[in-house]
Amino acid sequence: MEIGILSVIIFLPMIVSFTLLILPFGVYVTKVVSFSISLVVLFLALSIYSDFQPIGTMQFREFFPWIKSYGIHYSLGIDGFSLTILMLIAIIIPCAYLMLWDGDEPKSYWASMLLIQSGICGTLFSLDLILFYFFWEAMLLPVFMIIGLFGSGNRIYSTLKVTVYTMFGSLFMFVCILYLGVSYYYEFGVWSFELSDIVNITSIRDGYRVFLFVGFMLAFAIKIPLFPFHTWLLETYSNAPTGGVFIFSSIMAKLGVYGILRFVLPIFPDIFVLSAPYFVGIGVFGLIYFGIAAIMQYNIKKMFAYSSASHLGFIVAGVFSLNMYGMSGSVFLIVAHAMATGGLFLLVGVMERNMGIKAISALGGIAKKAPFFTVYFAIMMFCIVGLPSTNGFVSELLIILGIFKFNYIVGIVSTLTVLVAASFMLWMFQRAILQDSDNDVSKMVDLGKKEILALFPLSVLIFVMGIYPDWFLAKIEPTIQHYLFDILKVGM
Amino acid sequence: MNTLLMWIVLSPLLTSIFIGMVYMWGLKYHKLARQWYIVPALISPFVSFVLACFVFWEILTQNNILVYKPYVWLSIENVDIYMGFLGDKLSILMVLFVSFVGWMIHIYASAYMQDDEGEGKFFFYFNLFLASMLLLVLADGPLIMFIGWEGVGVCSYLLIGFYFRVSQNVVAGNKAFIVNRVGDFGFVIGMVTLFFYCTDVGFDYASIKQVVGNIPSFTLAFIGLMLFVGAMGKSAQIPLYVWLPDAMAGPTPVSALIHAATMVTAGVYMVARFNFLYELIPQVGVFIAYVGALSAFFAAIIATKQTDIKKILAYSTMSQLGYMFIAVGLGGYASGVFHVFTHAFFKALLFMGAGAVMTALHHEQDIFKMGGLRQKLPLVHGCMLVATLALCGIPPFAGFFSKDQILLEAFASGHYLLWSIATLTAGLSAYYMFRLFFVVFEGKNYNSSRHIHRLSKTMQVPIFVLAIGSLMAGFIGVPLVLGGDNHIASYLFEWTKKSLHVEHSIEFALMGLSVTVALVGVVLAYVKFYRYDFKKEYVSKGIVYNKFYVDEFYHLLIVLPLQSLSSFIASRLDIQIIDALIMGACRGVIKGGRFVSLLQNANTRFYSLLMMCGVSVFFIYLILVLG
Repeated sequence: MEIGILSVIIFLPMIVSFTLLILPFGVYVTKVVSFSISLVVLFLALSIYSDFQPIGTMQFREFFPWIKSYGIHYSLGIDGFSLTILMLIAIIIPCAYLMLWDGDEPKSYWASMLLIQSGICGTLFSLDLILFYFFWEAMLLPVFMIIGLFGSGNRIYSTLKVTVYTMFGSLFMFVCILYLGVSYYYEFGVWSFELSDIVNITSIRDGYRVFLFVGFMLAFAIKIPLFPFHTWLLETYSNAPTGGVFIFSSIMAKLGVYGILRFVLPIFPDIFVLSAPYFVGIGVFGLIYFGIAAIMQYNIKKMFAYSSASHLGFIVAGVFSLNMYGMSGSVFLIVAHAMATGGLFLLVGVMERNMGIKAISALGGIAKKAPFFTVYFAIMMFCIVGLPSTNGFVSELLIILGIFKFNYIVGIVSTLTVLVAASFMLWMFQRAILQDSDNDVSKMVDLGKKEILALFPLSVLIFVMGIYPDWFLAKIEPTIQHYLFDILKVGM
Repeated sequence: MNTLLMWIVLSPLLTSIFIGMVYMWGLKYHKLARQWYIVPALISPFVSFVLACFVFWEILTQNNILVYKPYVWLSIENVDIYMGFLGDKLSILMVLFVSFVGWMIHIYASAYMQDDEGEGKFFFYFNLFLASMLLLVLADGPLIMFIGWEGVGVCSYLLIGFYFRVSQNVVAGNKAFIVNRVGDFGFVIGMVTLFFYCTDVGFDYASIKQVVGNIPSFTLAFIGLMLFVGAMGKSAQIPLYVWLPDAMAGPTPVSALIHAATMVTAGVYMVARFNFLYELIPQVGVFIAYVGALSAFFAAIIATKQTDIKKILAYSTMSQLGYMFIAVGLGGYASGVFHVFTHAFFKALLFMGAGAVMTALHHEQDIFKMGGLRQKLPLVHGCMLVATLALCGIPPFAGFFSKDQILLEAFASGHYLLWSIATLTAGLSAYYMFRLFFVVFEGKNYNSSRHIHRLSKTMQVPIFVLAIGSLMAGFIGVPLVLGGDNHIASYLFEWTKKSLHVEHSIEFALMGLSVTVALVGVVLAYVKFYRYDFKKEYVSKGIVYNKFYVDEFYHLLIVLPLQSLSSFIASRLDIQIIDALIMGACRGVIKGGRFVSLLQNANTRFYSLLMMCGVSVFFIYLILVLG
């Protein structure tokens, strides 16, 4: 039995994390080891990227039986979608470690971060529904630990709320997974939860399939979150520690979108196409609704929570627009948004570490004290706003094109995205960062060398991906074509 | 030769990145000498200018169009969108004066910003601004143009809010950015709509030109209108002009750059660039011309009552841009571009002069607190006079020829209403410009004991050079009736309106009339403001002084409702309705659980009762179904 590179990426952080927890190392060693492991993962991911063939099918497959009697396999593989998110994770996690370096969190925090990385990668590579569900739930545990132990404010309530919310959705999904497995057994006489087998099921009646579709979508919609399942978001984002918010906003939310693309789309292609208008509508509605809600927020983290929700709505609208433009735009925006929002949350984390949590009106005059902080903040902000020459623009443009192709009127409404983010971001930037005020911000310190180094690759990528978007799109385009033409059979 | 097109843009772009890095390095470690950023900042626009001259010469002698496409920007479905640069007569003419006037402003700024601690940052933004504008002009295709278009927007945001510690400066920057984004909302809609007609051929101008004929005329009119909404924002036309007067918050060289060579001319250039599209939809063109005429007139009226020297100039820019839109709207693209060209010289000069005056008087901006500067600043006085005459359209200064062509365009195409508004506005322009000039330079009650800053040579040279420009720039377009060759029209012959036949006598009459109207304005200003008595306080109130309360109107109509909607959503709808519903459902489950748990009361007799009931129900079922 040969262990593939994907398994190494999944289990290396996990093993190291447990080892660190058991052995009596100090925080410093834990940090160094965690950071090195994240670099190893980055290196592995880069080697995958260079070996990846730009074709539509699954690559780097690993397939071993796990629970033979029920046909559950340890089945891994990646295609263009998972590769994009893998690269994203591999790049931003080391950056996040560097940004979090100077915090005073204990060893268990760092060990949890490694565990989260394992869980996320497992979710990303799984091609067996049960395995996917296993990682999907497993990755939540360390996140809840981080929020519950290291959060602020009413952290226990937040943890409980987000746990119940997501578990509720996931349980529906689990029931649906079991139903699919049983149906497969009845139809073909053998057990299997392998995705490529499940898609062949034809025996389920249409009415039940709609229920199953809803079950899956509920789990992912809560995770993303889509309107109206977003109410856990504000509590969690404002009470979670920086690392937790970072993981939630830049990675976990995107895994919800990934789940839709990986499982919902191939298993229910017909319902996916039929329900597209509703989800495009919800997405665009969310874009505007959350965008407006963000304007008057008095807390930066809450504002970014709404801002994230707004963009994620836009991503979902792109996914459901059923054409090349919208889908590739969504994948692009997943990356762009993760970098920019992740960067912004990490920066806000630095601000919190120095000065404690403060309302926007209690800030001001930061730009004078911390020029590097401000420069990075501005770059990330303009990426969110969708400034041309950043990857934020490319993705927004592609999604707008996609929605226009889907429906002209909705397209015009979705173009409001050029206004939405600008309207709250610039005002916040003015009040919190730029203008002088009477508030005491003397505790604010500018970014140190480590932090400058940490955000440098993200900023450069934001621009490189905005100036040469085609280099990046070329890798994922065949996958999207495969999904559209072979699975959904649209856009011929 | 084709690669030069790219280097025209790259020269200021790379320099700006270099300057930015040097500046940040200086903040983190020790501050470097100012030569580190001044020298590259001043060289890069010059390099662009020289390269542009080469390309210009090539185009002029070889009479061909240069296209350079370094790489595929985006390839999706079967459309390849190239990062493309297009050098034709129109774009290279724009590049020539943008880089030249930009260079002059850079030189001026190097003296103006000398003692400012943010000088490095300033030149980083400044070079980036120039690079964006050059990209906007040289781009081959609307999408690449849009990168420059927005780049200009963000640089203006950064420069207007340059002194970001004062909140109102940042507010002005925000306003500029967001109002421009409102325009972009339209522009993107237009661009995307156009894109779906071009999916078979590509998205550069030449390809778009092939397909515009096939687009239904209603859709085409919609596209043209939406693209123009973008131009309204960028070129500050009604109703999206509100950002321009506030944009004065930045340092004066910024205003010179925004108003003269870059940014605001982008809208006019865009319409001229899309001439092949607008030619097919003359109705939209007429609409554009009317928006232009109204903006010109409206701005001129507001300008007559303003007291801030930079605001007067800002409104004059808006007014002149209105003229340009009259020209391009009526299909006279060459005349419009000609006015852009001459305007760049005299408007840059006016702002530099204003900056010089303000420097001399320790950042005083109210013209009624200046006065008597003729003796103190003779060079500035002379150059400002040239620029003012050029703006008013007094022959033989630059503005005369270009403005006259626009008026002729309006008259010849039979739009007499447009023509009369434009002519009337010419009179108003002469009035408010000479009001400014007389008050600042001739007002008699000047307190001569006040200390006057001396102007450095570095500031005087560009002022002088641009004064020559304002004097000479018009001569490239001397009309035939005055014995000239109208070089600009024959150079831009593709963009010149073909059917423009007016009798020579009428043309003379029109010229005479417009000059007369302008002179009337000058005389009025002379009577009212020459040797203005500074003892009486200037009345600064009334509806015109308050800019017709448009800002307040927008605030009431858009900003406030949006803010209350936001508060409503965030604090009511989300928490009290949606979250309450979901949490309510959870509580319902808990209550249901409590109720069911009553049954689990560990009482054996109760359990056996339940069992009895269950068994009875089962038997009744069996009897009913089977029996």
